[in-house]
Amino acid sequence: MKKIAFKTLGCRLNQYETDALASRFHSGSYEIVDFSQPADIYVVNTCTVTNQSDQKSRQTINQARRQNQQAVVVVTGCMANNYKESLLESKAINFVVDNERKTSIFGLVEKHFRGEVADPEGFDHDVFSYEAAYKTFHTRSMIKIQDGCDNFCTFCIIPKVRGRAASRPAAEIYRNIAEVVEHGFKEVVLTGVNIGRYDDNGTNFEQLIEGILNLPGDFRLRISSIEPDGFTERFFELFSHPKLTPHLHLCLQSGAESILLRMRRMYTARQFRQMALKLRELYPDFNLTTDIIVGFPGETEAEFEATTNLAKELNFSHIHTFKYSVRSGTRAERMPDQLSEKVKNHRSEVIRKISEANKAAYYSAMIGKTQRLLIERIGNDGVARGYGESYIPIRIKAKNLKRNQFAEVILTGLHQGKELEMTAELVITDRSGGSNN
Amino acid sequence: MKQFDNIHELISVRLLTPTAYVLRMTRRGLPFKAGQHLLLGKAGSIHNREYSVYSGEQDDFFEVLIKEVDEGLVSKQLKKLKPGEKVQIEGPLGFFTIDPEIVNTGKFLFVATGSGIAPFHCFSRSYSQLNYTLLHGVRYAEEAYERNDYPKKRHILCTSSGDGGDFSGRVTDYLRANPVSPDTHCYLCGNFNMIHEVFEILELQGVPAEQVHAEVYF
Repeated sequence: MKKIAFKTLGCRLNQYETDALASRFHSGSYEIVDFSQPADIYVVNTCTVTNQSDQKSRQTINQARRQNQQAVVVVTGCMANNYKESLLESKAINFVVDNERKTSIFGLVEKHFRGEVADPEGFDHDVFSYEAAYKTFHTRSMIKIQDGCDNFCTFCIIPKVRGRAASRPAAEIYRNIAEVVEHGFKEVVLTGVNIGRYDDNGTNFEQLIEGILNLPGDFRLRISSIEPDGFTERFFELFSHPKLTPHLHLCLQSGAESILLRMRRMYTARQFRQMALKLRELYPDFNLTTDIIVGFPGETEAEFEATTNLAKELNFSHIHTFKYSVRSGTRAERMPDQLSEKVKNHRSEVIRKISEANKAAYYSAMIGKTQRLLIERIGNDGVARGYGESYIPIRIKAKNLKRNQFAEVILTGLHQGKELEMTAELVITDRSGGSNN
Repeated sequence: MKQFDNIHELISVRLLTPTAYVLRMTRRGLPFKAGQHLLLGKAGSIHNREYSVYSGEQDDFFEVLIKEVDEGLVSKQLKKLKPGEKVQIEGPLGFFTIDPEIVNTGKFLFVATGSGIAPFHCFSRSYSQLNYTLLHGVRYAEEAYERNDYPKKRHILCTSSGDGGDFSGRVTDYLRANPVSPDTHCYLCGNFNMIHEVFEILELQGVPAEQVHAEVYF
């Protein structure tokens, strides 16, 4: 049996696509091994969203080659689209497969080992024909609903490497979710590049969510990362459904109106603020996390301060901070007043500290409240860990807990380990589901 | 196969001023919504730029209005093209469009600076019943691109230098002097500073943020 290892860099969409590929190889009788282990095939699913992502992707490719000089190294993902020519010249890589043909990697590898001529370009474009990702590297099952983006934010390379917006047919999504729920997954996370723009022949994002919530089975749905534009009143109402988790990763990028305009975002800081306040008004414990870019060209101290003020006011429990980096071919590449790394590092550190303070404040305010914990793993010390519906990491020590099982818990305090977690006491576990593996 | 799909033929180049021109190209049946833009470049070039469609939804060609930029690359390349030569188009793209439900019933304010008038030219050609007022801000009256294409009562030319306009001053000055009613749907297209300032003015005048749409030109 051939051994295959996967490494994913970047976004949840990449994670989903790796999971789906792994499932395909697993059902095709390949043994999946850790990326640090010797393998016959290494698949590196790359990211190119920042310079740092490019660097990590290149390091990972070299790591794969170092581990086995004879292995087949397949490079796919956004870097494969953005730097195809230079990657094709690399001796460390056997195949470069663009995003549009990522689904063909199984067929490509099979062809290669049959001794046939394997050319990625010979496969059709298809961004949605992934198998249900049952062989996942996570407890949560990610479901791809959309790909590509037409927003063309001035800093962003994604429209160039993921192409135009395309929505997966709703019927396929419902079928895919039914399959993963049947496989025992208790949490479904929607992924895509710009999922709020979902449109399948008139079925919009809100209607898709309603359709998913109406599917049978004991699972919960997490929207996760979404752009704050195009929401209707119905969107806010949806969160009253018990299956929909009260958490959004709502991408702010900047709290300064002037920067948002220069980024060509589809919303204003005022609109963002109103959306966040409305969610908190309707659902007081609603957890908001976000992305912020620091050091966008021309970002002044005053503009950065507008961002820090909004980040504090809206109390994002986690802020994923990106230092702006020039992406070739984007509009921002041609903007004047590119900021120094020193300024970007400083601003990044300021945001990181706000994020930490916000997190501690939000978690502290949740003490005494109930969460439905989905147990993801149980350590040798008997401590079970997972996330509540509000996307709070929870640790709990109790008897008879099982992985992939829901448990109702009361949050009791904060625990600072490698990451900040919340401690909890067990109220009751669900009798259904769970596994010890 | 795919590389030929987005190739279109240049039909004509129409000079409006020494530095502004309208490029007319074959449309090849591509659907689009008024207000969208194209990614346009010379065929075979890796460089392209975004240009709002200037022509109407019913026209069987695409037109874009281009202002030649001093340090620009693509705007100069495209100006030199001759009829019959090829360009490549990606799109149409974008969300700077009017909700079909309010096209015939809404009250609209369009605010443009310079070549930012392009999507409004497209709106006016596409929707004959549109109830709109167009503020066009330019430095000199000569930059009022094809103003006769708009009904006179709907077009207000704001000139920041020289005479010949309907209003002497910037579009922002006009807006401060002539407040907008809060039920107006406002569309802003042009330079960053104008849009940023108009956002503030409209907010002070009580126009809800959901009714303000912007397309920034850099």
